[in-house]
Amino acid sequence: MRQLNAFVARLRGLFQPQRLDGDFAAELESHLAMHIDENIRAGLSPAEARRQALIRLGGAEQTRQSHRDRRTLPWIESLVQDIRFGFRMLLRNRAYTAVAVLTLAIGIGVSATAFTWINGVLLQPLGGVADPSRLVTVESVTPGGAWVPNSYPDFVDFRDHLKLFDGVAVTRPVALSVGREDHADRVWGELVSGNFFSVLGVMPQQGRMFLSSEYGDTPGAFPIVVISDRYWRAHLNADPAVVGRTLRINQHELTIVGVAPPAFHGSMPVTAFDLWIPYMQQPVLNGVGTWMLRDRHNRNMLGIARVKQGVTFDQAQQELRVLAERMAQANADVSEGMSATIMPLWKSPHGPQGLLVGPLRILMGVCILVLLIVCANVANLQLARATVREKEFSARLALGAGRIRLCRQVLTESLLLAFAGALLGVAATPFMSRALRYLMPPGPMQQLVAMDTRPNLTVLAFTVGLCVFAALAAGIAPALQVSRTSLSARLNEGGRTGSAGRRNRLRSVLVAAEVALALVALVGAGLFARGFQSTMRIDPGFEPNSVLLSQFYLNTSGYTLEQRKEFCRRLSERMLGAPGVTDIAYSDGVPLGFEPSWWEELKIEGYAPRPNENMNIFRNVISPGYLPLMHIPIVEGRNFNEQDNESDDSPAVMIVNESFARHFFPNSDPIGHKVHGWGSWFRIVGVAKDSKYHYLGESKVPYFYVPFRQLFRTDMSLAFYVRTQGNPESVLSTLRAQTRAIDPNVTVYDAVPLKEFIGASLYPQKLAASLMGILGSVAVLLAAVGLYSVMAYWVAQRTQEIGVRMALGAQPGHVLRMVVMQGLKLTTGGLVAGALLALAMSRVVGAVSFTNSGMGATAKLMGDGGGEPLIFAAAAVFLCALAAFAAWLPARRAASIDPMQALRTE
Amino acid sequence: MGDKTDVWQGTLALMVLRTLESMGPQHGYGLARRIEQTSGDLLQLNYGTLYPALLKLEQEGFISSSWGTSENNRKAKFYELTKAGHRQLKKAAAEWNQTTAILARFLTPAHEA
Repeated sequence: MRQLNAFVARLRGLFQPQRLDGDFAAELESHLAMHIDENIRAGLSPAEARRQALIRLGGAEQTRQSHRDRRTLPWIESLVQDIRFGFRMLLRNRAYTAVAVLTLAIGIGVSATAFTWINGVLLQPLGGVADPSRLVTVESVTPGGAWVPNSYPDFVDFRDHLKLFDGVAVTRPVALSVGREDHADRVWGELVSGNFFSVLGVMPQQGRMFLSSEYGDTPGAFPIVVISDRYWRAHLNADPAVVGRTLRINQHELTIVGVAPPAFHGSMPVTAFDLWIPYMQQPVLNGVGTWMLRDRHNRNMLGIARVKQGVTFDQAQQELRVLAERMAQANADVSEGMSATIMPLWKSPHGPQGLLVGPLRILMGVCILVLLIVCANVANLQLARATVREKEFSARLALGAGRIRLCRQVLTESLLLAFAGALLGVAATPFMSRALRYLMPPGPMQQLVAMDTRPNLTVLAFTVGLCVFAALAAGIAPALQVSRTSLSARLNEGGRTGSAGRRNRLRSVLVAAEVALALVALVGAGLFARGFQSTMRIDPGFEPNSVLLSQFYLNTSGYTLEQRKEFCRRLSERMLGAPGVTDIAYSDGVPLGFEPSWWEELKIEGYAPRPNENMNIFRNVISPGYLPLMHIPIVEGRNFNEQDNESDDSPAVMIVNESFARHFFPNSDPIGHKVHGWGSWFRIVGVAKDSKYHYLGESKVPYFYVPFRQLFRTDMSLAFYVRTQGNPESVLSTLRAQTRAIDPNVTVYDAVPLKEFIGASLYPQKLAASLMGILGSVAVLLAAVGLYSVMAYWVAQRTQEIGVRMALGAQPGHVLRMVVMQGLKLTTGGLVAGALLALAMSRVVGAVSFTNSGMGATAKLMGDGGGEPLIFAAAAVFLCALAAFAAWLPARRAASIDPMQALRTE
Repeated sequence: MGDKTDVWQGTLALMVLRTLESMGPQHGYGLARRIEQTSGDLLQLNYGTLYPALLKLEQEGFISSSWGTSENNRKAKFYELTKAGHRQLKKAAAEWNQTTAILARFLTPAHEA
């Protein structure tokens, strides 16, 4: 307590130096006066009296100083002095300061941005939930080991039987239309189990969340909705009386019961939803048959669970697996061999984070690389400055400054620079963070992505850490150098460079390190770009050019199944008549898209599956026009036609791909064979050529198609394709007009060229390659600047020497060569170190993969080996050329030195 | 230790507090002289060290200061014990007494043995 009082008093003392100085001077004055009076009374002469008084005091100035030290906090005072002086020095050298601050801003800015993303995706995937560290994703596991979503009956079993969890909830992202028919907005929401908010631990900011009486399993019983803070503010004017009002969602009135807190955006990382509706409203809102809620085949719910305190994830996992296996036996007809697993939220293969995790890790690595280069650069600049200021430092030493104090001065300046850089960098962070949205592939994903870019404590703390790290990394070497300044070295003008040799060596090492790091960045960029390119060259097996893809959400307009089919038929007719349109098709799934691909468990007549063989085969539900529109050839049999329809006298048919045919009918013709799925038998009528379905790098997988009219169901999506003669975007307005003509309530929301849409499957690779490309260029540029500054300094230092050489007959060409060779020597050292580093790096990064379209399927970010030496060589040559150029600029100056001029400056 | 002893840190504060208690408000010079007198001129006080010590006590809230006029009609700064200062003096004196008593036990028996 009394220490605190004293501290506060001393802190106060900092701010009134004049007054307190004066006060103490007066006190000292009166002390001396009294002492002198007494001495005089004792018989001393006035002069002697004063002398004696001062001796007993121990010196007036010393007393004042020790009093001042006690009055304030000397370390703060000298810190303030250092900072003030630092500012003055920095302001005096504007060019140097600007370069250093900008460099640091780049380094700190990109690192802080990368960290914001990583924080949002990996570290704090969900905002506004209680104790997110105990939340896990629940995935069902197929006999083949793939991860798939859960069915509602599975969920009920999980919910009712798991003891080591504080609750299991399910959710299904959906597009909803809000408002009256003709001016409805499309809003993304989640259909959730009633206990969703209680499992996540989300408290309402208005009204309430779902009550336990609303957790029930009665379809259509809960016409209620919870809205997001964002939606509440944007569309309902933050009306405080919003609870109890109704929203018209998919043409049904739902009562708003509560508003979620601002930080909560739903159960998917990096994704923002606006509405949460009990899953039991699904049949009402989307016209889905209630039997689907009872069907274990109908796996479309993402599971999220909270593991109890004190229970390890392993124990929870164990309990879940045992239960899931028991369920698989009890429901052997549909779930044989199935299991279930849990994983941290960020590992969930659904949603954008599956694509982001891999690239983000690499991004963080590259950012550290850039930051290191930045630090080396700033250290270099400071070393150069320290040389210029050697005289100043010697003078300060001579006047009695401690070496520690000089060190501190340099570090303070370094910290000032880093701080200014950090301010600038952080100011740019929100803009850069938002760029994540533009890096997402087009389509619904892009609109959903929402990164919390508000500065938060974690990011701020990280940035401050970065700032201190950068200041130390960039300031340590110069500070040590300064502390070794010899007292006499520079005080006398003629003093030749004593410590310059060692300093130059240090700077050379720094530049070599920069070159090494730049090489790593460059090689990385090259490897990713090559991986991306080689993937791009893969033939998808269909023709995505000149196709416009539009996704319809007819469920939001309250369409029945028949109405949806009718809609497709009429829209096709109208579009086929439009100018420039050559083909029309529609299907459930989009190849190489983002949405999870669906499969069906098949039984194949005449084929005995091996034990544990995965008979879940991927499929698509297509209109007869689909295969011709995609230019996927039928290699055997026939395509679907209008006779393959829902009428009783038209038999169910399917088309399989070549891999399917090869795998299940190795020795016979598949045409005419019967296959069982969806509870009935299909006859194979055709074989289509293999194409790519999920991502370009995938190996050949069995796949099959069934006719739209026979199998389309209300819970399926609807993708509509228009092939055009020219630019696919040109028919967009026609598509809009024709859609409106059929039904003004249906709006065309996501219409993009198919070529762009399927780029989604390339997205992680593209992202990694472009990020590496951008940051690689930054790294190379920074290294070039560093090299240039060192060479320029080297030349400036040797002006006299070069002058002498030239006076003795050296040719400008010789001088040029000498300087450039010096630069290349530095570079070569860096290149060797960098090559080793890059080799190690490519091993590590080669192992980073990403997840695509659910199923737990992963693909590598980087292509496989081969061509690597070429990239290394190209990067090295490029850096050498750049180094030569950076050295050539000052070399030219050196070569044009006039010997007389140079010698005269002596 | 020689005839004239330097004052070591910590004890000076205690001496100041005790002197202020017995004398009432006093200025720095007066305090210094009084401490020397009390010590029977055994202590050689470097007056300059007194002022930071006074400042420290004031910052800790044990004494307060105000300008006044000395007996010789000189302007001087007078120091005075605060309530906290009285408490602190009791506490510090008790601690000091205990310390010396303990040390005495160590030093005296050696004589007797």
